[in-house]
Amino acid sequence: MQSLINFTYASTHYRPREGMIAFLLHRISGLATLLFLSIHIVDTSLVYFYPQYYNDFIGLYRLPGFMLAEIALMAGVIYHGLNGFRIALFDLVLPSAWTIQRERLSVRLTILLAAILWLPAGIIMGGNFIGYTFLGWH
Amino acid sequence: MLVALKIKRFDPERKPAAWWSNYKLEAAPGDRVLDLLVRAKDELDGSLTFRRSCAHGICGSDAMRINGTNRLACKTLVRELGSRITVEPLLGMRVEKDLVVDMEPFLASYRSVKPYLINDEPLPADGRERRQSPAERLRFDDTTKCILCGCCTAACPVFWADGEYVGPAAIVQAHRFLFDSRDRGAGEHTAALLDMKGVWRCRTIFQCTLSCPREIKITQAIAEVKQAIVLGK
Ligand code: FES
Repeated sequence: MQSLINFTYASTHYRPREGMIAFLLHRISGLATLLFLSIHIVDTSLVYFYPQYYNDFIGLYRLPGFMLAEIALMAGVIYHGLNGFRIALFDLVLPSAWTIQRERLSVRLTILLAAILWLPAGIIMGGNFIGYTFLGWH
Repeated sequence: MLVALKIKRFDPERKPAAWWSNYKLEAAPGDRVLDLLVRAKDELDGSLTFRRSCAHGICGSDAMRINGTNRLACKTLVRELGSRITVEPLLGMRVEKDLVVDMEPFLASYRSVKPYLINDEPLPADGRERRQSPAERLRFDDTTKCILCGCCTAACPVFWADGEYVGPAAIVQAHRFLFDSRDRGAGEHTAALLDMKGVWRCRTIFQCTLSCPREIKITQAIAEVKQAIVLGK
């Protein structure tokens, strides 16, 4: 807890640059994915332990808040994977790529690429969200 | 030009212990932040406390946070900052007074990588120096530039969260000896870097490289140390 307090204080008192933003997005998307996977394990295990509640639980995923969060989660998963690949590539294969220019460019490209890859899924999931929430699909 | 200089103050014997001082100073664009601090101390408030020694960017005494980034006050010109200048102590280190922080934990991390040449082999037949080619010398040239100012370690978010992390400066020092063709102590330099507090804690956030006043490619050096450990240098 103390480390979270120290980190929060310091990171709000230092000018952030690309690497800091890439790191924060990586952490947040990683934690969000972990949270989702934990919930997912719970809902799947219901099939075995309490099959009568399974459909109710799955129904939760149709709640507007849940659907929006899933759209964001999709972006997070894509970004997390791409950024992890960027870091592994630079760190393990090409240390000499850790120059100021390349680091800046690579962070921007990673975010851009994640956004492009997310777009189709975002549109489909966004369509579902509108359908289930406002158009009375079920 | 008229400069508004804002300085974060701290004095454990005063109440409240922390406050801001605001000074208005006439300055030339070519003045260094250190010049302003010296003038503020000489002419306006003798109790203002900061470290400096060489005043020429080589001793590493005057690392501080200037307009939100770690820099050496003696290497930062007013021209780069404009007319509003905010000076604060380094983050992640205990403040002793005003801009002076406790560097001891930082130096303990530095010592933990055994930052000296380790070689017990007998001297060459002529009994003189251990020779090295220019190419071998060039291999670790970048990391010889470190002046141990602490800008990098105090800019590292991993270090902010956990002061036990050895930090980029110590890894840079390990790199300097690890890649020295005359050194035989690879295992001893890296011993302190292998555990949870060591080199794998680096998250490649790149703040170290951006803050280094000597422009050392720190993240690259850290990645090379990681590689050397994995591939068994
Ligand atoms: S006073 Fe020596 S580095 Fe600035």
